Amino acid sequence: MTTLVALARRNSGVTIAWIIALALFGLGTALHPDFAAPAHIRTLLLTGSFIALAGVGQTLCILTGGIDLSMPSVISGSAVLVAYMSGSPGTSLAGTLVLILVIAAVIGAINGIAIAYTKVPPIIITLGMNGALLGLLLVFTNGGVAAQTPAPILDFVGGTVLGTSPALWLWLIISIGIVIVLGWTSFGRQLYAVGTNTTAATLAGINTRRVIASCYVTSSVFAAITGWMVLGFLGQAFVDMGDDYLFSSAIAVAIGGASILGGKGNYAGTVAGALILALVGAILPMMSLGTSALRIAYGVILLLTIVLGRFESSGR
Amino acid sequence: MSRATAFPPAGASRHWLRNSPLLMPYVYLACFVLLIVALKPNLLLGPGMLQSRIALIVPLAFVAFGQTLVVISRGIDLSVGGVICLCSSLLATSLNHDGSRLLLDIVLILALGAAIGLLNGALVAYLRLQPFLVTLASWTIAGGVAFAVLPVEGGAPSPGLIAGVQGKVAGIPASVIALLILFLVWLWVRRSVFFIDLVAIGSDEGRAWLTGVRVNRRKLQAYCVTGLLAALAAIWLTAQSATGSPRVGDEYILASIVAVVLGGTSIFGGAGSAASSVVGAMAYMLIPVAVYALQLESYWSIAIQGVVLMLAVMANAGAQSLVRGAGT
Repeated sequence: MTTLVALARRNSGVTIAWIIALALFGLGTALHPDFAAPAHIRTLLLTGSFIALAGVGQTLCILTGGIDLSMPSVISGSAVLVAYMSGSPGTSLAGTLVLILVIAAVIGAINGIAIAYTKVPPIIITLGMNGALLGLLLVFTNGGVAAQTPAPILDFVGGTVLGTSPALWLWLIISIGIVIVLGWTSFGRQLYAVGTNTTAATLAGINTRRVIASCYVTSSVFAAITGWMVLGFLGQAFVDMGDDYLFSSAIAVAIGGASILGGKGNYAGTVAGALILALVGAILPMMSLGTSALRIAYGVILLLTIVLGRFESSGR
Repeated sequence: MSRATAFPPAGASRHWLRNSPLLMPYVYLACFVLLIVALKPNLLLGPGMLQSRIALIVPLAFVAFGQTLVVISRGIDLSVGGVICLCSSLLATSLNHDGSRLLLDIVLILALGAAIGLLNGALVAYLRLQPFLVTLASWTIAGGVAFAVLPVEGGAPSPGLIAGVQGKVAGIPASVIALLILFLVWLWVRRSVFFIDLVAIGSDEGRAWLTGVRVNRRKLQAYCVTGLLAALAAIWLTAQSATGSPRVGDEYILASIVAVVLGGTSIFGGAGSAASSVVGAMAYMLIPVAVYALQLESYWSIAIQGVVLMLAVMANAGAQSLVRGAGT
């Protein structure tokens, strides 16, 4: 018990995030009895899982002191390409998915190499990449709306395996994997070292450039996977479907207690942050508040998070 | 130690190299103009074309001017998008009076922009929060309020405002006058203590503070001015299109940052020019025209704008590391 308390105290940001998530769930249940119905919990978890999947890469990038703003275009690009390619004859779904993963990895590599080698702020590079990808996507899909969603992808999100959606099982496996990678591997330790002090990490013999570049590759690959999941959930693809995930993923990481300056935070916090955003997104409509209220809520949450985080860190 | 030490020593060749990024926007602009004139001269030189192109530049020039000040102080302002969305929505709905009330409405809009900037500046300067996160939050909040004010594009801006912005003064279009005033303001600002302090802050905040620069107050002022200029851009934009929009501002975030980067202002702070950013804005606004002149699909311009940002920022960073390598 005492170790648990110590652990909670050391990760106070993460702990607070989980307490807030539980409180929001309680509020939702109090507002509407069906809030805790299994079907609704499944929807909540799915919406949260999309933010959290996008948040995988964002967590890694933010741990190294960067950020990936190219995520929206990668998410919508991956979804639109799947839907677009499945409409043309002679293409296999597996081939398309592999191709998309390769493209995503290349995009991430361009981001990562540019950031690691030129020292240009990641915000600028990835913002430019987002615009470039959006334009290319519009050019090659001629407007970028595609309605055909391959059945396997619909089933992967909408179907049921072992009591819940396969997409949620995949997310669980990925989450465990990320927690292990961050907490118990040399790559994870190198990541925290780079985020805390890049110069010190270089002097300690870490190939900081490779660590930074690999974060952006991971980020793009997971953004592509997020695109497939969102496609399976919505059943259609359009060019701005990824826009929501730019902020929600970064906000989720911020809520989860990571320092935007790098070197602090973990994936458990991001998951809590993603669930908080999903819960807020579900509760506001119940109070008959629309998308504008949701955007305002996201902004206020982000502002509160960073202001509180500031006081927490200055208190030490 | 005087404030002047915040500047690098001005060895002749190094000085030229350090300022070379600030000359680049003129090169970019000349390239685009030559390309367009060579392929489809009517796009620029046709009747009334030049005037309408210049009119399109004005809102971005305002935003880029403000963004330059913030970037020079080693910050960034993403909230300009939210400010423009909110001001545009308000100008097309509740603040669209004509006649004598119009002046009050304009003052209110400018005050709103300045207030949002002030909030950003206070959080960045006094709480030492990340500019990127603070302005991300205020962008989201202001954009959300804009959607509540005006859910879809539309509304009716004040006819008096539309006539003023689209009109002429002594035969010269208002947009040309606005750009000229902006350049004159810059000639004044670049010699001001405010600007010299911003450069010092961007070069080395700690040293600037030690030499007596009021770092927090200057940052607060920079964000406040940027908010004010974003509101001004919204007034211009709304009157020009004669309609309000809750999402029109979002594109100005990327656009203003590209204009600043094309303008050669150091993305690491400490050096830059708002006049170069305005020229950068002109070059940026010519990209879609050049794409059209090349007979490419219009979507290419979005891709090219993104690629141009990446290449220009890396080129500038390269030039600056060259300066640092050769210099101090």
